[in-house]
Parts: sequence; C-alpha cells; structure tokens
Amino acid sequence: MQDWKLNRALFASIASAPTLWLVLFFIVPLGLVWLYSFGTNVGLTEIDISGTFANYARALEPLYLGIFLKSVWIAGLTTVICLVVGFPVALAIVFATPKWRPWLLLGIMLPFWTNLLIRTYALMAVLRTEGFANQTIGWMWDKWSGLMTFAGLQPLGDFTPLPLLYNNFAVVLGLVYVHLPFMVLPLYAALDRLDKSLIEASLDLGAGHVRTLLSIVAPLAAPGIISGIIITFVPALGAYLTPDLLGGTDSQMIANVIERQFKRANDWPFGAALSFLLMYATFIAIAFQAMKSRQAERRQ
Amino acid sequence: MSLFKPRVPLAPLEYTKRLWMRAWVGLVLFFLYAPLLTLIAFSFNDSRRGNVVWRGFTFDYYEKALNNESLMIAMGNSLTIALISTIVSVVIGALAAVMLWRFRFPGKTATEGAMALPIVVPEICMGVAMLVFFAKIGFPTDLPWPFSLGAIIIAHITFCFPFVTMVVRSRLTSFNREEEEAAKDLGATEWQAFRDVLLPHMKPGLVAGALLAFTLSLDDFVITFFTSGPNTITFPVKVYSMVRFSVTPEVNAASALLIALTVILTTIALKVQSRMGGTPQGH
Amino acid sequence: MNSFDSIRKRIGRRSLLQGLGAAAIGITFTGALAGCEKKEAGKASTGEEPKLNFYNWDTYIGETTLDDFKDTSGIEVNMSLFATNDELFAKLRAGNPGFDVIVPSNDFVERMVQADMLEQLDHSKIPNFANVGAAFKDVAYDPGRKFSMPYTWLTLGIGYRKSKVDGVPDSWKWLFDSDKYKGRISVLSEAGDMFRLGAKYLGHSVNGVTPELVKQIEAMLIKQKPFIKAFHEDNGQDLLLSGEVDLVLEYNGDIAQIMAEDDDIDFVLPKEGSQLNSDTLAIPKGAPHPENAHAFINYLLDAEAGKKIAEYILFPTPNDAAKALMPADYRDNKVIFPTAEQLAKCEYAAYDGKMQPIFEEAFTRVRAA
Repeated sequence: MQDWKLNRALFASIASAPTLWLVLFFIVPLGLVWLYSFGTNVGLTEIDISGTFANYARALEPLYLGIFLKSVWIAGLTTVICLVVGFPVALAIVFATPKWRPWLLLGIMLPFWTNLLIRTYALMAVLRTEGFANQTIGWMWDKWSGLMTFAGLQPLGDFTPLPLLYNNFAVVLGLVYVHLPFMVLPLYAALDRLDKSLIEASLDLGAGHVRTLLSIVAPLAAPGIISGIIITFVPALGAYLTPDLLGGTDSQMIANVIERQFKRANDWPFGAALSFLLMYATFIAIAFQAMKSRQAERRQ
Repeated sequence: MSLFKPRVPLAPLEYTKRLWMRAWVGLVLFFLYAPLLTLIAFSFNDSRRGNVVWRGFTFDYYEKALNNESLMIAMGNSLTIALISTIVSVVIGALAAVMLWRFRFPGKTATEGAMALPIVVPEICMGVAMLVFFAKIGFPTDLPWPFSLGAIIIAHITFCFPFVTMVVRSRLTSFNREEEEAAKDLGATEWQAFRDVLLPHMKPGLVAGALLAFTLSLDDFVITFFTSGPNTITFPVKVYSMVRFSVTPEVNAASALLIALTVILTTIALKVQSRMGGTPQGH
Repeated sequence: MNSFDSIRKRIGRRSLLQGLGAAAIGITFTGALAGCEKKEAGKASTGEEPKLNFYNWDTYIGETTLDDFKDTSGIEVNMSLFATNDELFAKLRAGNPGFDVIVPSNDFVERMVQADMLEQLDHSKIPNFANVGAAFKDVAYDPGRKFSMPYTWLTLGIGYRKSKVDGVPDSWKWLFDSDKYKGRISVLSEAGDMFRLGAKYLGHSVNGVTPELVKQIEAMLIKQKPFIKAFHEDNGQDLLLSGEVDLVLEYNGDIAQIMAEDDDIDFVLPKEGSQLNSDTLAIPKGAPHPENAHAFINYLLDAEAGKKIAEYILFPTPNDAAKALMPADYRDNKVIFPTAEQLAKCEYAAYDGKMQPIFEEAFTRVRAA
C-alpha cells in the first residue's frame, strides 16, 4: 500500500471522481434526511429540526428492536443459503470453458432483468395452494400412491397441498431467489483465473474434493465471500416487496416498517431515525472490519 | 436449458466434478427459471389480469405490447437509464476500489464505511433524500429527453457504484503487485502499467460489477419514482402503478421480448467477438 | 408487407429513438440545454401552451380518453404514473415538479388541503359539474367541492367464493372476530382501514376511533391473526380469484371486475355498514397549466367521456349523466351500486392526523405479535 503523499497527483486523479460524487449526490442528500431524524413534525409537511432524540428513543423500543432482530435473522439465513447454493455455481462459471462462461454468467443474470414485481408474481403462481409446485407434487403423490396400491400396499392418503406461500418460508425462499446473483457474482470475480495448480496439487496429494474446496478454494475466495456476504445480507435486510407479497401475517421486516413511516404514517423523522439506526450499525461494522484488516496488514 | 449447462473441460481436476457440479448448476438454473417460464407462459394468457388464472392461449398481448407506445417508451427509458448508469458506475466504482486498495490516506476507514452506505440505506430513505435534494437545488424537470432522465440517472449511479466498488475491490486483493512493479521497471508509465497489467486483472470484477449495476438500475422502482419528473415513466414505475387494477399480460409479453432480445444480442456479440479475435476471455 | 415495418410504424418514431438512442447519449447535469428546447408555437383555446401533465394510476382511464381530449381541445395530455396515494403525497410534499391534474382519494384531498397543497377550483370553468350525482355534489371531505371533483367512488366490503362459504357472510365478524373460515381469509394491510372497519364492527363510527378503542381492536385483531392467511396490499381480488382464500376484504369495484371472470364470486356490504372511498380530480398548487387542467377536468366529467371511462374501468361512477348512458347490467349491478339503504350505513373516513400514527403503530404491534 502506498501513502497518498508519495504520489499526490495520481491519488487526486483516482480519488476525486468517486469522492466528489459520493459527497455531492449521497452525503449531502442523505444529510438532509439525517437532520430530519432529529426533528419533530409540525403540521403535515413541515419538520422542525429541534435536535430531539425522541425519534431514536422510539426506534429503540422493544417493538421495533424485535422486528429489527427478526429481519437480521431472516437476512442472515438468506445469506447463508445463498452462499451454500451460489458457491458451486460460481465455481462452475470459473471452470467453464471461455466459450461457455459468458453464457453461464448471462444464464444467472437473465432472470433478474425481468421486473422484480412480476417475477415475484410468477413465483407466487408457482408456490400457491393450487400452484405449479403443489400440482407437481400432488401428481407425483398420486402416482406413487397408485404404485403402492398396485404393489398391494396401503395407498397414501389424499394429498394436502403444502403451505408454500404466505409464511416465513416463502419470504426466505423469495429472498434467496432475488439475491442469489449478489452472491454468485462477487465469488466469480474473486475466483476467476485462480491458480489451478494449487487444486491439482491438493488432489494429487490425496485430499478429497470437499477438503480441497474448504482448505484451498475457500481461502482464495475469502475476499469474494466477504463482499458477497455484505452485498447479499445488507440488501436482503432492506427488502420490503418480498415480505409484503410472499409473507404471512407475521412476516413484516424492518424495511416494511420504515417504508410505512415515510408513506402512510407521514412520519419522516421517525422513518429517518429507523433508517439511520440501520446505517450506524452497518457503518460501525464495516469500519471495524476495515480497521482490523488494516491492523493485520501492518503486522505482516 | 441444456444450453446453459457448463461444458467442463477435461482437465484432471474438473473431470470428476462433472456429475455433481452439473446437477447442482442444473438445479439452481431450474430454480431460477421455473418462475420465469411461468411468467412467459402467462404472457400468452387470454385474460386482462395476467398472472392469476389461466384463461386460454393468445398472441394478442404481444401485439398489444408492441402497439402500446407508453409501454415501449417506458422500456426505452429504463434501458437508457440502466445503460448510462452502468457505464458511469463502473468507472466511478472501479476508481473508488483502486483508491481504497492502493493508497493509505487519512480518513480511510471513514471513507470505506461511507462508500458502503448507499448499499445500506433503505430504498425509501434514499428516495426521499433524493426527492428533497433535487427539490432544494431546483433541478429542472422540464428538460427534453434524454436530459429529463438526468435526476434518475444521478440517483441510480449513486446506489449502483458502491456495488461495483465492493466487487472490484475483492478482486484486487488477489493482484500480484510485483507484476505492476516489473512493468514499471521495464519503463512502463503509470498509465501503461494500469492499462496493461492492472486493468486485465480487474476485468472479471468489472464484468460482475457491471452486471450487478445494470440489474439494480433496471429494476429500481422507489428511488426512480421519487426522482422522476412529469415525463419520465420507467418500466418498473409502470408495472407498480398497474398493481391496483392488476398487471396485464402485456407486461409479461414485454419482459419476454426483452429476454429474447438479450439472448439474441449476446449471441451476436459473442459471434462477432470470436470471429474478430479468438476466444473472448483466454487464460 | 414486412411485419417489422408495420410494428415499427406502430411503436412510433419517438419510442424507437428512445430505445435505440440509449447507447449514444452523453449527459449534462444542468438546464443549460433547456433553453434550446423550442416552445410549441400553437396555443390551446385556454390560452396556454397545449400541454397537460396528468398524474394517475396506469390503466385508470378510458382507453381512448386522452386522444379524444386532444381531438376536441388540441391539448396533449402526458400521463405520469404513481402507485399509491401515499407515494403521491410524499412526492408532492417536497413541491410540485410540474403536475397539472392529480387523482387523490378523499382522505388525501383532506390531507392536501390541510397542507395547502391544492389549488382552489373555479366552478365556472367546470360546467359539467352539473352531471355529478346529488350525493357527490357536497361532501364532508371537501365542503362545497372547492378543491376536488369526483372521479370514481368505492365502498369496502367482503368478496367471497359462493361455493366455499355458508350463505352470505354479511358481517365483519367473519373477517375480524371468528375462526369459522380459518386460514381462508385475507384482509387489507392498510392500518387505518383495518382499525376504522374494526370500529364499525364494534358499533362505532369510522371517524369515532379513540385510543382506548384502538387498544380493544388491536386485541381483537391479535386474537384473529392466526386465522388470517395474509394481509394483502391492493391485490385482494387476485387472491380470491386464484382460490388462495375464500373471503377477502376489498373494494366493490375490484370484486366487480373479477365477478365478470368467475361466476362463483360475489360481494357483500356487511350489515354493520362500511367505509366509502372516492378518487377525485384535483389541481396541485404550482400547476404550470391551470387553465388546461380545468378544461381537462371538465372533459372527464362529460357524459360521453365518463361513459367511456366507466366502460373500461368498471368502477362505480359518480357521474349520473354517464351512468345513464351505460348498459343496464352496469347500472343495475347491485355490487357496483349498492342500495341507498345500504349506503346510508356507510361513511367517508375523515383524515385524522393525530390518529394515523397511532393506527400505524398499533398495526405494527399486531403484525409483530
């Protein structure tokens, strides 16, 4: 790593565009909303920035903390499933021939160029009580049952459709569906052109595939895994459409609550406070991680 | 679908992987494409409320979709926004990644945290922030197309580029700095070293980042809604606005057409690329 | 004839350019180029440039209405879209970015009037107001119709699948306070509507909800929650049509639409009474073309134009002249037009800025319970 003072001109030419953009079009707009989080509603459209902490105090009530924790749990579960499902897919892309690689990448991405809402509708058509998933399972159930009767065994009872929709299962499934590429792409980016001789050596020395995967490939993919986890977990935490449409009566997530404050409740200060609590937590987590990795670097 | 299955080269290590890897990828693709096929199937549904109950086969909605000027304009707007946002996001995102990876500077930890914030902000919060921001600076809303999309594009770049940064940065950790040093020792300028050594290494990160940015931009509703003026309907805005009276199969038809178009364009691009210079991404 | 050519012609040059031009576009952040835009030379009969920005839901207008209006007045209507009243309000809160006519619901008319966001209407420029039915000429949410004209109206009730339900479920009880239809119920996710209707079930006015009553309804809803399958957004009709649930809390207009597709579905206005709703036409403060806006609102209230709109969206129309032109199966439809006796028990929900956050928080507790 280079100290910026050693090459100021280069540093300026690289850093100015992203920094300026971030300050001008992110920090400044968000700063306005940040001020709202210390404000009180006056009338319907005016917010008085009174410096109050009441919004934060309310946001930290057990009701909202509970929803927050539940959202963290659901987003965490989603992330883990995405990692397990996505890792082999990323490997497959990495190992594919150059001719096939673009097609695989596209194959993973293509479903996501369809609007999220209609994709979710389609997922609902698959999952609902009389949907395709239940129809298929029911059909197989009947066939199997017939087969058992044929073999002189007790037939299975009537098929009861599985409750695949309007519950937390559907929410996690929907979130995995939506966020899978957010995991696959960083993994692919980190693993592409990895040193295959390492894997060969490991296999030659008698390590199994699983062990090779865990002890050779996974560490190489570590930076990709970390960024994959971040860009899967964080957006999953902010998901509102999926829990709204696929969830049951108790599937609200923190983003649903935040959305309602900005819209129906018309309580921007409270919505801002809830949003910024989310951001403080992440900011601290990321800064902490960056600090630790920097310390580790220095020790080397 | 067998089209998308990987053809694993017969190197010693991949040899055995074929079975489980292919099965796994096949299953994942099935999971991803089953709803998509449903969606395409419903585009042939002879009912005004597209995605609910099957009422019979018709091609009508393809014709209607192509005739629906406002739908086509919305699609055009969305693609324009996504394309421009992707290009700018990749440039800014890659610069940010290089900055964070290469330099030590005061306030680095804070910068790193701040760069991740656009990923964290709840969409609605960012939407409202952008709404207030553009209203406060008096951003003009009556510009001619495509400048009328300016506010939306600015907002999209803001929430897309940190994703690019994240991906590119994790790619950069595997870069062997000695290569760059060697290039410079051999007389390469800073720019040449960047172009010939660092950039090729970053390429998978850039591709992945671009794909992410494009996807995020194409699909965004909330932030787009709050930054749009009176003449800038995008595809997601159109779709969400239909929910109250049910989404028509025209939307499914338009989506199916977009998928078909993407596949065709990619095929052509890959053909052209391979004809012009061997394999697209050699090792 | 080459089919691509015909398609291309139909898409129109503008959209094609928009689609294909995508790649070749540079971007400028300031309005420097705005000056280059040539102003249209012609003027509409209203004395303004012949343009109008209309903010509405998609498909919530007659199929040819905007073109017809252009033919009669020369004014080109550019329709932008929003998805919910909340979004409309949130967006205009920061200032009007250039809309001339908007379509807020009754409670949002009240909200926006209180927030000083609506322009007062000039009734002399809206002679077609005479077509509006007596019940809609003077309403509690907008006394004297100073700020809004009625576009459609609706009432909440219970949509149900006849073959799966005992008799007629003519009470809110089946949705709010009974396990009889366990797991086959879906209700609205709108906190205010849920609590107001809960109050109606308990024998109160929808506008008489006190914080104590909120607690009582909250407890009732928490008790009922295990029997409810989903809180739907505005798509309850889809859940009923797909057989996902058998009873659904929805608007009569939405259920009337799916009754046309499925004979087994019916709608009932519960005996306790219900909540009325009305979408209106209004002009936001700062509208760039207020004269055109008046002309447009007047046109939408025209008998023939109103008929074309009602034909397409099939919602109850407040326009008596338009209703008279409609076929009998619409006019006499008891779902679209409940009897006067039934309607007497229904009320408009007034906007109450104090209660709204209380409803929201209570409903968040119900969902989290």
